[in-house]
Amino acid sequence: MSRLRLIIFREWYTRVRRRAFILGTLLVPLLMAGLVGLGVWMEQVEIEQNKVLVVDLSGMISYWDDVREAWVPACPDCFPERSHLEYRFTDVALSDAEFLESDYTLMVLFDDGILQHQTAKYLYDKSPAVSTEKVVEGDLSSAIERFKVKEELTLNYEAYKRLKTTIRMVGEDVVTKDGNATGRSLIGFIFSFFMFVQIVNYGMHVMRGVIEEKANRIVEVVISVVKPIELMAGKIIGIGLVGVTQVVALTLLGFVVFKLGGISLEASGMLTASSNEGLDLDLETWMASNSTLGFLLDVNWPLMIGASLLYFVAGFFMYASIFAAIGSAIDQESDAQYLMIPAMLPLVASYIVAAMAIENPEGQVAIIGSYIPLTAPILMLIRLPLGVEWWELIGSFLGVVLTAYVFVRLSARIFRTGILMHGKKITFKELGRWMRHD
Amino acid sequence: MHDSPALDLIDIQKSFGTHLALDDVGFQVPQQGVFGLLGPNGAGKTTLLRMLNGITAPDRGSISFFGESLSRNHLPSIGYLPEERGLYKSMRVGEQAMYFAQLRGMDKTDARSKLRNWFERLEVDGWWNKEVSEVSKGMAQKIQFILSVLHEPKLLILDEPLSGFDPINAQRVRDVLTELKSQGQTTILLSTHDMGSVEEMCDEVALLNHGKLVLQGAVPDLREAARDGRVEVTFRDSVMEFTVALGASAELIRVEEEVTFNGERRALLRLRDGTDQAEWLHWISRHVQLTSCAPWQPGMREIFIQAVDHQLKDKS
Repeated sequence: MSRLRLIIFREWYTRVRRRAFILGTLLVPLLMAGLVGLGVWMEQVEIEQNKVLVVDLSGMISYWDDVREAWVPACPDCFPERSHLEYRFTDVALSDAEFLESDYTLMVLFDDGILQHQTAKYLYDKSPAVSTEKVVEGDLSSAIERFKVKEELTLNYEAYKRLKTTIRMVGEDVVTKDGNATGRSLIGFIFSFFMFVQIVNYGMHVMRGVIEEKANRIVEVVISVVKPIELMAGKIIGIGLVGVTQVVALTLLGFVVFKLGGISLEASGMLTASSNEGLDLDLETWMASNSTLGFLLDVNWPLMIGASLLYFVAGFFMYASIFAAIGSAIDQESDAQYLMIPAMLPLVASYIVAAMAIENPEGQVAIIGSYIPLTAPILMLIRLPLGVEWWELIGSFLGVVLTAYVFVRLSARIFRTGILMHGKKITFKELGRWMRHD
Repeated sequence: MHDSPALDLIDIQKSFGTHLALDDVGFQVPQQGVFGLLGPNGAGKTTLLRMLNGITAPDRGSISFFGESLSRNHLPSIGYLPEERGLYKSMRVGEQAMYFAQLRGMDKTDARSKLRNWFERLEVDGWWNKEVSEVSKGMAQKIQFILSVLHEPKLLILDEPLSGFDPINAQRVRDVLTELKSQGQTTILLSTHDMGSVEEMCDEVALLNHGKLVLQGAVPDLREAARDGRVEVTFRDSVMEFTVALGASAELIRVEEEVTFNGERRALLRLRDGTDQAEWLHWISRHVQLTSCAPWQPGMREIFIQAVDHQLKDKS
């Protein structure tokens, strides 16, 4: 193994095997899955006890069955068996007192007026969950829809079902760009935020690593074998790979969690909730029909993840080289503060602009910021889900790569001098002198 | 190349800003011995050692390594134990030792087998899988020493190798160095303030002060030169009687007021130029009760202090 590869491997391996890294990487998707699962579970607990009495005053969707001696739905498919929801039908409403004494949780009342005003009234003792209300609404809609089709002499329901198409509309206001754009810019912000955290976190790793080597003089032994530039490059690449490992691991875990979550949600029958036909749906179809989460399918995920990785690598090199130079110029972390300010300013500014750009991702500040190399890694990501021109993307990325190259070269000059300097407070003027000295 | 010195330093100069760290320093380190590099703090020793390790380069002058101009290609043939040394706290002892061995260009299998032997020899074999943070300072010192000798370097540079060791482990390291010296494969450059080690191990020394070479040569020659005709005597009389008896026959450099357990006092004298020592001894014995007389054997400590003082006087 070459010396540079040895250094890269050491920097990478000693970090990815740490319990904190493994737990941190595993916990993020698991925590998210856990939160979603908890929500689903709580919702299930909420709706488990629901027994609904459907009072069909006009006999539109139910009839008296002599054999079973009970009111039954004209369309049994519209009211599928569910563990948490049970229907009973009747044509006479219970009095309030009778309802309170009964084991029904809801009583839905309607007559043929529903065909005009499309509203059914329901009574409850304890307010039902929104999801329960949606499920009952969906089931009743299906039943009424079936009734309407039956009334049309020229149309049978099988033919109607074949022709019926569920179209999901993705709206965008031509002036405000509102609607799904907000959801997608939120995704952009999450990526920007993650990028900010990753660059700062792993940049600090680089700085601390350099300070550790300098403070305990390991560097004397290491640079008697490798050149200072090799040591710096090995450290930046190794620690950068830790970040890349985390992004890849999170992507894979996120994919697995999405798939497994989808399978378990499908199995639990929850995904039929917004289906008017009561049909089981897969997670993607369910999301497509869901007005809250539908925008997630509009995001070009491979582009987002690919661009994030590339911007992370280039942006990390750019900032990590500065952090490495700072680490080499000081003796302990507490001395870093005044040197850190100029390095952190563009990062913090990018983050603030990104946070403001959730509302207006196509604002001038975000656009200009996405072209400036120091802010582009964070600000291009908030624009990306809404679509950017290919020349903007490539131009901005090349700008970051070029700047990273220049920064690495200049930082290496500081690094090779600073790493052997002890007990001296370094000024910006001195750093400038080291940079100019080839 | 076979007869070339291990190191040949010619007119080395190095400055940091306005500070002249090394001023035309030049000396030779012969092959296969132990060479002591001495000097007070700030004399320029570390700067010189860093040059030998390729960490910094001289502003002027040249360094030859076994007859060839010193370059990065020679660095794998050099072992270096810096004075202030550390290990990565987040690594295990064994994997860290493997890392440094491979950085020095050793093959993985060779490194593992040699490390096992050295770990056994210096009694650190039970620590292979321990985190460095769990290891005591002395244990870490031994590991660092092993890492400097593991790849069997032609030149071994040790900066205060015994500091931080208890007497038992210090002796163990001394034994290893003595063995390396007797094997004749390694030239050892020892930078230390421990004059006991210098007297015990070094064949030759160079003394730096304020970036200048103050003294250089073989240890016995330096001791003889530093003796400067001085003799050490013991006597039973009072200091007054002894001083009166001595008269102008010799220069009394110092006399100990304290009387030893058998009633003797010790004094250091320098006989007048041209004085025959045997005749003088015969003469003085008639006036005082002299119990012993021997040529003075200056220690490296005295030589060190004397040389530094002389330079200071010359400067002022």
